[in-house]
Amino acid sequence: MGKLVSLWYLLAAVVLTIIWFIVSQLVDLPIIPSPVLVVENLADIFMKYIAIHSLYSLWRIGAGLLLAVAVGLPLGVIMGYFPQTDRFLAPVVYLTYPIPKIALLPILMLLFGVGELSKVFMIFLIIVFQVVVAVRDGIRAIPNETYYPLYSLGASFKDIFFEVLWPASLPKFITAIRVALATAISVLFFTETFGTQYGMGYFIMDAWLRVNYLEMYSGIVVLSLLGLILFTTIDLIERNACHWQYK
Amino acid sequence: MISIENLSVNYKSDSDVYTAISGINLTIPEGGTLAVIGPSGCGKSTLLKAIAGLIPEYEGTIKINGDEVNPKKQTIGFMPQNYGLLPWRTVIDNIRLGMKIKRAPELLDRKVLKKLMRQLGIEGLGHRYPTELSGGQQQRVALARVFALQPDVLLMDEPFSALDAITREEMQDIFLKLWQKNNVSTIFVTHYVEEALYLGQRIAILSASSGNINRIVDNPLFGGKDIRQNPEFFEMSLKLKNSIKKDWNQAWEN
Repeated sequence: MGKLVSLWYLLAAVVLTIIWFIVSQLVDLPIIPSPVLVVENLADIFMKYIAIHSLYSLWRIGAGLLLAVAVGLPLGVIMGYFPQTDRFLAPVVYLTYPIPKIALLPILMLLFGVGELSKVFMIFLIIVFQVVVAVRDGIRAIPNETYYPLYSLGASFKDIFFEVLWPASLPKFITAIRVALATAISVLFFTETFGTQYGMGYFIMDAWLRVNYLEMYSGIVVLSLLGLILFTTIDLIERNACHWQYK
Repeated sequence: MISIENLSVNYKSDSDVYTAISGINLTIPEGGTLAVIGPSGCGKSTLLKAIAGLIPEYEGTIKINGDEVNPKKQTIGFMPQNYGLLPWRTVIDNIRLGMKIKRAPELLDRKVLKKLMRQLGIEGLGHRYPTELSGGQQQRVALARVFALQPDVLLMDEPFSALDAITREEMQDIFLKLWQKNNVSTIFVTHYVEEALYLGQRIAILSASSGNINRIVDNPLFGGKDIRQNPEFFEMSLKLKNSIKKDWNQAWEN
Protein backbone atom coordinates (compact mmCIF):
# COMPACT_ATOMS: atom_id res chain seq x y z
CA MET A 1 0.00 0.00 0.00
CA GLY A 2 2.74 2.45 1.05
CA LYS A 3 4.77 1.51 -2.01
CA LEU A 4 1.80 2.04 -4.31
CA VAL A 5 1.16 5.50 -2.89
CA SER A 6 4.81 6.55 -3.36
CA LEU A 7 4.59 5.26 -6.93
CA TRP A 8 1.67 7.62 -7.62
CA TYR A 9 3.62 10.55 -6.18
CA LEU A 10 6.55 9.64 -8.43
CA LEU A 11 4.23 9.43 -11.44
CA ALA A 12 2.76 12.88 -10.67
CA ALA A 13 6.26 14.34 -10.39
CA VAL A 14 7.30 12.74 -13.70
CA VAL A 15 4.19 13.98 -15.54
CA LEU A 16 4.59 17.54 -14.20
CA THR A 17 8.27 17.54 -15.17
CA ILE A 18 7.46 16.33 -18.69
CA ILE A 19 4.87 19.11 -19.14
CA TRP A 20 7.40 21.61 -17.82
CA PHE A 21 10.03 20.24 -20.22
CA ILE A 22 7.69 20.50 -23.24
CA VAL A 23 6.67 24.07 -22.35
CA SER A 24 10.32 25.09 -21.87
CA GLN A 25 11.19 23.70 -25.31
CA LEU A 26 8.20 25.41 -26.95
CA VAL A 27 8.72 28.83 -25.35
CA ASP A 28 12.52 28.66 -25.58
CA LEU A 29 13.16 31.71 -23.36
CA PRO A 30 15.39 32.02 -20.25
CA ILE A 31 12.28 32.76 -18.14
CA ILE A 32 11.27 29.09 -18.50
CA PRO A 33 14.45 27.01 -18.26
CA SER A 34 14.49 23.28 -18.93
CA PRO A 35 13.89 21.15 -15.81
CA VAL A 36 17.11 19.28 -16.58
CA LEU A 37 19.16 22.45 -16.09
CA VAL A 38 17.20 23.36 -12.95
CA VAL A 39 17.79 19.96 -11.37
CA GLU A 40 21.48 20.15 -12.21
CA ASN A 41 21.67 23.60 -10.66
CA LEU A 42 19.67 22.45 -7.63
CA ALA A 43 22.07 19.59 -7.01
CA ASP A 44 24.93 22.07 -7.17
CA ILE A 45 23.59 24.75 -4.84
CA PHE A 46 21.14 22.99 -2.50
CA MET A 47 23.54 22.25 0.34
CA LYS A 48 25.56 25.40 -0.29
CA TYR A 49 22.75 27.99 -0.42
CA ILE A 50 19.20 26.69 -0.28
CA ALA A 51 19.21 24.30 2.70
CA ILE A 52 19.50 27.09 5.28
CA HIS A 53 16.64 29.01 3.65
CA SER A 54 14.35 25.99 3.63
CA LEU A 55 15.13 25.33 7.29
CA TYR A 56 14.18 28.90 8.18
CA SER A 57 10.87 28.57 6.31
CA LEU A 58 10.22 25.21 7.94
CA TRP A 59 10.85 26.60 11.42
CA ARG A 60 8.46 29.53 10.85
CA ILE A 61 5.71 27.23 9.62
CA GLY A 62 6.37 24.76 12.45
CA ALA A 63 6.32 27.44 15.14
CA GLY A 64 3.19 29.12 13.73
CA LEU A 65 1.44 25.77 13.45
CA LEU A 66 2.33 24.75 16.98
CA LEU A 67 1.12 28.05 18.36
CA ALA A 68 -2.13 27.78 16.39
CA VAL A 69 -2.75 24.29 17.75
CA ALA A 70 -1.90 25.33 21.30
CA VAL A 71 -4.44 28.16 21.17
CA GLY A 72 -7.00 26.86 18.66
CA LEU A 73 -7.53 23.38 20.06
CA PRO A 74 -8.52 24.38 23.61
CA LEU A 75 -10.61 27.26 22.30
CA GLY A 76 -12.43 24.97 19.84
CA VAL A 77 -13.02 22.37 22.55
CA ILE A 78 -14.43 24.97 24.93
CA MET A 79 -16.67 26.50 22.26
CA GLY A 80 -17.90 23.12 21.08
CA TYR A 81 -18.49 21.56 24.47
CA PHE A 82 -19.93 24.53 26.36
CA PRO A 83 -22.65 26.16 24.22
CA GLN A 84 -22.77 29.22 26.51
CA THR A 85 -19.18 30.13 25.68
CA ASP A 86 -19.89 29.63 22.00
CA ARG A 87 -22.74 32.12 22.16
CA PHE A 88 -20.26 34.63 23.47
CA LEU A 89 -17.17 33.70 21.44
CA ALA A 90 -18.70 32.83 18.05
CA PRO A 91 -19.40 36.48 17.14
CA VAL A 92 -15.81 37.37 18.02
CA VAL A 93 -14.49 34.56 15.84
CA TYR A 94 -16.87 35.27 12.95
CA LEU A 95 -16.03 38.98 12.95
CA THR A 96 -12.29 38.42 12.87
CA TYR A 97 -12.14 35.25 10.74
CA PRO A 98 -12.99 36.88 7.36
CA ILE A 99 -10.35 39.62 7.70
CA PRO A 100 -7.62 38.82 5.17
CA LYS A 101 -4.74 38.16 7.53
CA ILE A 102 -2.25 39.59 5.07
CA ALA A 103 -3.94 42.96 5.59
CA LEU A 104 -2.74 42.79 9.19
CA LEU A 105 0.89 42.39 8.18
CA PRO A 106 1.78 46.10 8.58
CA ILE A 107 0.26 46.07 12.07
CA LEU A 108 2.06 42.88 13.01
CA MET A 109 5.33 44.30 11.74
CA LEU A 110 4.84 47.43 13.82
CA LEU A 111 3.92 45.46 16.92
CA PHE A 112 6.34 42.54 16.67
CA GLY A 113 9.06 43.99 14.45
CA VAL A 114 9.99 42.87 10.97
CA GLY A 115 11.84 39.78 12.23
CA GLU A 116 10.81 36.26 13.14
CA LEU A 117 7.96 37.01 15.50
CA SER A 118 5.70 38.79 13.01
CA LYS A 119 6.20 36.02 10.43
CA VAL A 120 5.40 33.25 12.90
CA PHE A 121 2.41 35.19 14.20
CA MET A 122 1.11 35.64 10.66
CA ILE A 123 1.07 31.88 10.10
CA PHE A 124 -0.52 31.42 13.49
CA LEU A 125 -3.33 33.83 12.53
CA ILE A 126 -4.03 32.01 9.28
CA ILE A 127 -4.19 28.53 10.82
CA VAL A 128 -5.80 29.24 14.19
CA PHE A 129 -9.27 30.22 12.92
CA GLN A 130 -9.62 27.13 10.80
CA VAL A 131 -8.57 24.99 13.77
CA VAL A 132 -11.04 26.67 16.15
CA VAL A 133 -14.01 26.34 13.81
CA ALA A 134 -13.20 22.77 12.74
CA VAL A 135 -12.67 21.50 16.29
CA ARG A 136 -15.81 23.23 17.52
CA ASP A 137 -17.96 21.80 14.72
CA GLY A 138 -16.41 18.38 15.18
CA ILE A 139 -17.39 18.40 18.84
CA ARG A 140 -20.85 19.78 18.16
CA ALA A 141 -21.55 16.90 15.78
CA ILE A 142 -21.09 14.32 18.55
CA PRO A 143 -24.52 12.88 19.37
CA ASN A 144 -25.59 13.15 23.02
CA GLU A 145 -25.96 9.37 23.21
CA THR A 146 -22.20 9.13 23.00
CA TYR A 147 -21.85 10.99 26.31
CA TYR A 148 -24.69 9.38 28.26
CA PRO A 149 -23.07 6.05 29.15
CA LEU A 150 -19.95 7.93 30.27
CA TYR A 151 -21.81 10.55 32.32
CA SER A 152 -23.88 7.86 34.00
CA LEU A 153 -20.62 6.27 35.14
CA GLY A 154 -19.50 9.54 36.67
CA ALA A 155 -16.90 10.40 34.03
CA SER A 156 -14.76 13.45 34.77
CA PHE A 157 -14.07 16.15 32.18
CA LYS A 158 -10.65 14.58 31.69
CA ASP A 159 -12.29 11.25 30.79
CA ILE A 160 -14.71 12.99 28.43
CA PHE A 161 -11.87 14.89 26.79
CA PHE A 162 -9.62 11.89 26.15
CA GLU A 163 -12.34 9.36 25.37
CA VAL A 164 -14.66 11.54 23.28
CA LEU A 165 -13.71 15.14 22.51
CA TRP A 166 -10.13 14.56 21.41
CA PRO A 167 -10.71 11.56 19.13
CA ALA A 168 -13.94 13.05 17.73
CA SER A 169 -12.31 16.33 16.76
CA LEU A 170 -8.94 14.94 15.65
CA PRO A 171 -9.85 14.16 11.99
CA LYS A 172 -11.54 17.57 11.52
CA PHE A 173 -8.62 19.23 13.19
CA ILE A 174 -6.12 17.55 10.86
CA THR A 175 -8.20 18.45 7.80
CA ALA A 176 -8.29 22.07 8.97
CA ILE A 177 -4.52 22.14 9.25
CA ARG A 178 -4.18 20.60 5.81
CA VAL A 179 -6.43 23.26 4.27
CA ALA A 180 -4.84 26.15 6.15
CA LEU A 181 -1.29 25.03 5.44
CA ALA A 182 -1.46 25.80 1.71
CA THR A 183 -2.53 29.39 2.48
CA ALA A 184 0.06 29.59 5.21
CA ILE A 185 2.87 28.64 2.81
CA SER A 186 1.87 31.24 0.23
CA VAL A 187 1.58 33.96 2.86
CA LEU A 188 4.89 32.91 4.37
CA PHE A 189 6.43 33.41 0.94
CA PHE A 190 5.11 36.94 0.91
CA THR A 191 6.23 37.82 4.45
CA GLU A 192 9.69 36.47 3.74
CA THR A 193 10.22 39.14 1.15
CA PHE A 194 10.42 41.68 4.00
CA GLY A 195 12.92 42.18 6.76
CA THR A 196 14.85 38.95 6.46
CA GLN A 197 17.84 37.49 4.68
CA TYR A 198 16.60 33.94 5.13
CA GLY A 199 13.67 31.82 4.01
CA MET A 200 12.52 30.41 0.69
CA GLY A 201 10.54 33.58 -0.06
CA TYR A 202 13.67 35.67 0.29
CA PHE A 203 15.73 33.23 -1.78
CA ILE A 204 13.28 33.10 -4.69
CA MET A 205 12.66 36.85 -4.83
CA ASP A 206 16.39 37.52 -4.51
CA ALA A 207 17.15 35.17 -7.40
CA TRP A 208 14.45 36.84 -9.43
CA LEU A 209 15.86 40.33 -8.80
CA ARG A 210 19.30 39.07 -9.81
CA VAL A 211 17.64 37.66 -12.97
CA ASN A 212 19.05 34.26 -12.07
CA TYR A 213 16.17 32.14 -13.35
CA LEU A 214 17.89 28.83 -12.70
CA GLU A 215 18.22 29.65 -8.99
CA MET A 216 14.71 31.04 -8.88
CA TYR A 217 13.32 27.79 -10.29
CA SER A 218 15.49 25.76 -7.95
CA GLY A 219 13.90 27.68 -5.09
CA ILE A 220 10.40 27.06 -6.43
CA VAL A 221 11.12 23.33 -6.70
CA VAL A 222 12.39 23.27 -3.12
CA LEU A 223 9.29 25.16 -1.92
CA SER A 224 7.07 22.65 -3.65
CA LEU A 225 9.00 19.75 -2.10
CA LEU A 226 8.71 21.44 1.28
CA GLY A 227 4.94 21.49 0.84
CA LEU A 228 4.99 17.85 -0.21
CA ILE A 229 6.95 16.88 2.91
CA LEU A 230 4.53 18.80 5.15
CA PHE A 231 1.43 17.30 3.54
CA THR A 232 2.72 13.73 3.58
CA THR A 233 3.73 14.16 7.22
CA ILE A 234 0.18 15.25 8.03
CA ASP A 235 -1.20 12.28 6.09
CA LEU A 236 1.07 9.93 8.01
CA ILE A 237 0.04 11.42 11.34
CA GLU A 238 -3.61 11.08 10.38
CA ARG A 239 -3.17 7.43 9.36
CA ASN A 240 -1.60 6.64 12.70
CA ALA A 241 -3.78 8.79 14.94
CA CYS A 242 -7.15 8.20 13.24
CA HIS A 243 -6.76 4.52 12.36
CA TRP A 244 -10.48 3.86 12.85
CA GLN A 245 -11.20 5.95 9.77
CA TYR A 246 -9.24 3.61 7.55
CA LYS A 247 -11.23 0.50 8.31
CA MET B 1 -33.39 -1.89 44.78
CA ILE B 2 -34.47 1.31 43.11
CA SER B 3 -37.12 3.52 44.64
CA ILE B 4 -38.51 6.61 43.00
CA GLU B 5 -40.79 8.94 44.90
CA ASN B 6 -42.75 11.82 43.51
CA LEU B 7 -40.26 12.43 40.71
CA SER B 8 -40.84 15.48 38.49
CA VAL B 9 -38.58 16.94 35.84
CA ASN B 10 -39.08 20.35 34.26
CA TYR B 11 -37.12 21.60 31.31
CA LYS B 12 -36.53 25.32 31.31
CA SER B 13 -35.87 27.25 28.14
CA ASP B 14 -35.33 31.01 28.07
CA SER B 15 -39.01 31.85 28.24
CA ASP B 16 -40.81 28.62 28.98
CA VAL B 17 -41.04 25.84 31.52
CA TYR B 18 -42.01 22.47 30.17
CA THR B 19 -42.96 19.55 32.39
CA ALA B 20 -41.54 16.31 31.01
CA ILE B 21 -42.58 14.01 33.84
CA SER B 22 -44.42 14.65 37.08
CA GLY B 23 -45.34 12.74 40.20
CA ILE B 24 -43.73 9.42 39.30
CA ASN B 25 -43.61 6.71 41.96
CA LEU B 26 -41.86 3.43 41.23
CA THR B 27 -40.00 0.69 43.03
CA ILE B 28 -37.94 -2.03 41.44
CA PRO B 29 -36.82 -4.79 43.79
CA GLU B 30 -33.21 -5.95 43.81
CA GLY B 31 -32.61 -7.96 40.66
CA GLY B 32 -36.01 -7.18 39.15
CA THR B 33 -36.91 -5.84 35.75
CA LEU B 34 -39.34 -3.09 34.85
CA ALA B 35 -40.57 -2.20 31.39
CA VAL B 36 -41.66 1.39 30.79
CA ILE B 37 -43.99 1.78 27.88
CA GLY B 38 -45.51 4.93 26.48
CA PRO B 39 -46.07 6.99 23.33
CA SER B 40 -43.26 9.15 21.96
CA GLY B 41 -42.86 12.41 23.80
CA CYS B 42 -44.38 11.11 27.03
CA GLY B 43 -41.16 11.46 29.00
CA LYS B 44 -39.90 7.87 28.87
CA SER B 45 -36.37 8.90 28.03
CA THR B 46 -36.46 11.70 30.58
CA LEU B 47 -37.39 9.22 33.29
CA LEU B 48 -34.51 6.97 32.29
CA LYS B 49 -32.05 9.86 32.13
CA ALA B 50 -33.09 11.08 35.57
CA ILE B 51 -32.43 7.62 37.05
CA ALA B 52 -29.09 7.53 35.23
CA GLY B 53 -28.09 10.73 36.99
CA LEU B 54 -27.94 12.66 33.74
CA ILE B 55 -30.44 15.30 34.83
CA PRO B 56 -29.06 17.37 37.69
CA GLU B 57 -32.28 19.21 38.50
CA TYR B 58 -35.30 17.19 39.46
CA GLU B 59 -37.89 17.19 42.22
CA GLY B 60 -38.60 14.18 44.39
CA THR B 61 -36.19 11.38 45.24
CA ILE B 62 -34.46 8.66 43.28
CA LYS B 63 -32.72 6.12 45.48
CA ILE B 64 -30.53 3.26 44.37
CA ASN B 65 -29.88 0.77 47.15
CA GLY B 66 -30.96 3.38 49.70
CA ASP B 67 -28.71 6.22 48.50
CA GLU B 68 -29.67 9.18 46.38
CA VAL B 69 -28.60 8.57 42.79
CA ASN B 70 -25.03 9.68 42.12
CA PRO B 71 -23.05 8.54 39.08
CA LYS B 72 -19.80 8.91 40.98
CA LYS B 73 -20.86 6.60 43.82
CA GLN B 74 -23.07 4.01 42.19
CA THR B 75 -22.35 2.00 39.09
CA ILE B 76 -25.05 2.84 36.61
CA GLY B 77 -25.03 1.00 33.30
CA PHE B 78 -26.77 3.12 30.68
CA MET B 79 -27.40 1.79 27.20
CA PRO B 80 -28.69 4.51 24.88
CA GLN B 81 -30.82 3.94 21.82
CA ASN B 82 -27.98 3.88 19.30
CA TYR B 83 -25.78 1.85 21.70
CA GLY B 84 -23.40 4.77 22.40
CA LEU B 85 -20.30 2.88 21.29
CA LEU B 86 -17.26 5.02 20.57
CA PRO B 87 -16.41 4.69 16.86
CA TRP B 88 -12.72 5.36 17.54
CA ARG B 89 -12.28 2.52 20.00
CA THR B 90 -12.09 -1.15 19.19
CA VAL B 91 -14.75 -3.52 20.48
CA ILE B 92 -12.59 -4.66 23.38
CA ASP B 93 -11.68 -1.08 24.33
CA ASN B 94 -15.34 -0.10 24.17
CA ILE B 95 -16.17 -2.93 26.56
CA ARG B 96 -13.33 -1.96 28.90
CA LEU B 97 -14.26 1.73 28.79
CA GLY B 98 -16.67 1.56 31.70
CA MET B 99 -14.09 -0.02 33.98
CA LYS B 100 -11.55 2.54 32.92
CA ILE B 101 -13.88 5.37 33.88
CA LYS B 102 -14.93 3.65 37.11
CA ARG B 103 -11.25 3.06 37.82
CA ALA B 104 -12.14 -0.54 38.61
CA PRO B 105 -9.20 -2.60 37.38
CA GLU B 106 -10.40 -5.53 39.50
CA LEU B 107 -13.18 -6.00 36.94
CA LEU B 108 -10.67 -6.21 34.11
CA ASP B 109 -10.33 -9.95 34.46
CA ARG B 110 -9.48 -11.26 31.00
CA LYS B 111 -11.16 -14.60 31.62
CA VAL B 112 -14.40 -13.02 32.75
CA LEU B 113 -14.45 -10.66 29.78
CA LYS B 114 -13.68 -13.50 27.40
CA LYS B 115 -16.48 -15.58 28.87
CA LEU B 116 -18.90 -12.69 28.57
CA MET B 117 -17.90 -12.10 24.96
CA ARG B 118 -18.30 -15.79 24.22
CA GLN B 119 -21.78 -15.81 25.76
CA LEU B 120 -22.65 -12.89 23.52
CA GLY B 121 -21.09 -14.47 20.45
CA ILE B 122 -18.59 -11.67 19.85
CA GLU B 123 -15.36 -13.33 20.99
CA GLY B 124 -13.72 -12.97 17.58
CA LEU B 125 -14.56 -9.30 17.15
CA GLY B 126 -12.39 -7.76 19.88
CA HIS B 127 -10.11 -5.84 17.54
CA ARG B 128 -12.75 -4.62 15.11
CA TYR B 129 -14.22 -1.14 15.17
CA PRO B 130 -17.97 -0.61 15.78
CA THR B 131 -18.54 0.67 12.23
CA GLU B 132 -17.37 -2.70 10.91
CA LEU B 133 -20.12 -4.52 12.82
CA SER B 134 -23.78 -5.15 12.04
CA GLY B 135 -26.47 -3.56 14.20
CA GLY B 136 -27.00 -6.82 16.08
CA GLN B 137 -23.29 -7.17 16.77
CA GLN B 138 -23.07 -3.58 18.02
CA GLN B 139 -25.98 -4.33 20.33
CA ARG B 140 -24.09 -7.32 21.71
CA VAL B 141 -21.02 -5.18 22.33
CA ALA B 142 -23.17 -2.62 24.15
CA LEU B 143 -24.62 -5.42 26.33
CA ALA B 144 -21.12 -6.72 27.06
CA ARG B 145 -20.09 -3.21 28.06
CA VAL B 146 -22.86 -2.78 30.63
CA PHE B 147 -22.81 -6.32 32.01
CA ALA B 148 -19.01 -6.34 32.36
CA LEU B 149 -19.40 -3.51 34.87
CA GLN B 150 -21.68 -5.54 37.14
CA PRO B 151 -23.78 -2.40 37.61
CA ASP B 152 -26.09 -1.59 40.54
CA VAL B 153 -28.72 -0.74 37.99
CA LEU B 154 -29.03 -1.27 34.26
CA LEU B 155 -30.95 1.24 32.19
CA MET B 156 -31.80 0.64 28.53
CA ASP B 157 -33.43 3.15 26.20
CA GLU B 158 -35.37 1.39 23.41
CA PRO B 159 -32.73 -1.32 23.53
CA PHE B 160 -33.65 -3.54 20.61
CA SER B 161 -35.83 -1.28 18.51
CA ALA B 162 -33.32 -0.69 15.71
CA LEU B 163 -33.00 -4.41 14.96
CA ASP B 164 -35.03 -6.52 12.54
CA ALA B 165 -37.74 -8.67 14.10
CA ILE B 166 -35.78 -11.94 14.14
CA THR B 167 -32.55 -10.44 15.46
CA ARG B 168 -34.58 -8.57 18.05
CA GLU B 169 -36.08 -11.77 19.48
CA GLU B 170 -32.64 -13.36 19.50
CA MET B 171 -31.21 -10.38 21.39
CA GLN B 172 -34.09 -10.47 23.87
CA ASP B 173 -33.24 -14.10 24.62
CA ILE B 174 -29.58 -13.26 25.01
CA PHE B 175 -30.43 -10.40 27.34
CA LEU B 176 -32.67 -12.62 29.49
CA LYS B 177 -29.95 -15.24 29.83
CA LEU B 178 -27.38 -12.65 30.88
CA TRP B 179 -29.81 -11.01 33.25
CA GLN B 180 -30.64 -14.33 34.91
CA LYS B 181 -26.94 -15.01 35.45
CA ASN B 182 -26.08 -11.54 36.73
CA ASN B 183 -29.26 -10.54 38.50
CA VAL B 184 -29.03 -6.85 37.74
CA SER B 185 -31.95 -4.54 38.56
CA THR B 186 -33.06 -3.34 35.15
CA ILE B 187 -35.33 -0.61 33.84
CA PHE B 188 -35.91 -0.39 30.13
CA VAL B 189 -38.01 1.80 27.90
CA THR B 190 -39.79 0.35 24.91
CA HIS B 191 -42.66 0.96 22.56
CA TYR B 192 -43.18 -2.72 21.78
CA VAL B 193 -45.81 -4.31 23.99
CA GLU B 194 -44.40 -7.77 23.19
CA GLU B 195 -40.96 -6.69 24.35
CA ALA B 196 -42.38 -5.30 27.58
CA LEU B 197 -44.23 -8.58 28.18
CA TYR B 198 -41.23 -10.74 27.38
CA LEU B 199 -38.60 -8.88 29.40
CA GLY B 200 -40.51 -7.01 32.08
CA GLN B 201 -41.52 -8.49 35.44
CA ARG B 202 -43.64 -5.41 35.79
CA ILE B 203 -44.81 -3.01 33.15
CA ALA B 204 -45.33 0.69 33.83
CA ILE B 205 -47.58 2.42 31.34
CA LEU B 206 -46.96 6.14 31.05
CA SER B 207 -49.84 8.39 30.19
CA ALA B 208 -49.80 10.21 26.90
CA SER B 209 -50.05 13.77 28.13
CA SER B 210 -49.60 14.36 31.84
CA GLY B 211 -46.13 12.88 32.22
CA ASN B 212 -47.05 10.48 34.99
CA ILE B 213 -47.68 6.77 35.30
CA ASN B 214 -51.07 5.58 34.16
CA ARG B 215 -50.75 2.23 35.85
CA ILE B 216 -48.36 -0.56 36.66
CA VAL B 217 -49.14 -4.09 35.54
CA ASP B 218 -47.63 -7.21 37.09
CA ASN B 219 -46.59 -9.62 34.39
CA PRO B 220 -47.52 -13.18 35.35
CA LEU B 221 -45.97 -14.58 32.16
CA PHE B 222 -42.45 -13.32 32.87
CA GLY B 223 -39.76 -15.97 33.05
CA GLY B 224 -41.93 -18.77 31.67
CA LYS B 225 -40.52 -21.11 29.05
CA ASP B 226 -41.13 -20.14 25.41
CA ILE B 227 -43.86 -17.76 26.42
CA ARG B 228 -43.82 -16.15 22.99
CA GLN B 229 -45.48 -19.30 21.62
CA ASN B 230 -48.02 -19.28 24.43
CA PRO B 231 -51.61 -18.27 23.54
CA GLU B 232 -51.78 -16.36 26.82
CA PHE B 233 -48.90 -14.20 25.60
CA PHE B 234 -50.93 -13.17 22.53
CA GLU B 235 -53.99 -12.61 24.59
CA MET B 236 -52.23 -10.51 27.15
CA SER B 237 -50.37 -8.41 24.59
CA LEU B 238 -53.62 -7.77 22.74
CA LYS B 239 -55.36 -6.78 25.95
CA LEU B 240 -52.51 -4.51 26.92
CA LYS B 241 -52.40 -2.91 23.49
CA ASN B 242 -56.12 -2.22 23.50
CA SER B 243 -56.11 -0.71 26.95
CA ILE B 244 -53.09 1.45 26.09
CA LYS B 245 -54.79 2.61 22.91
CA LYS B 246 -57.87 3.54 24.90
CA ASP B 247 -55.83 5.52 27.43
CA TRP B 248 -53.91 7.37 24.80
CA ASN B 249 -56.89 8.12 22.61
CA GLN B 250 -58.66 9.56 25.62
CA ALA B 251 -55.66 11.70 26.43
CA TRP B 252 -55.49 13.06 22.93
CA GLU B 253 -59.19 13.81 22.82
CA ASN B 254 -58.95 15.87 26.01
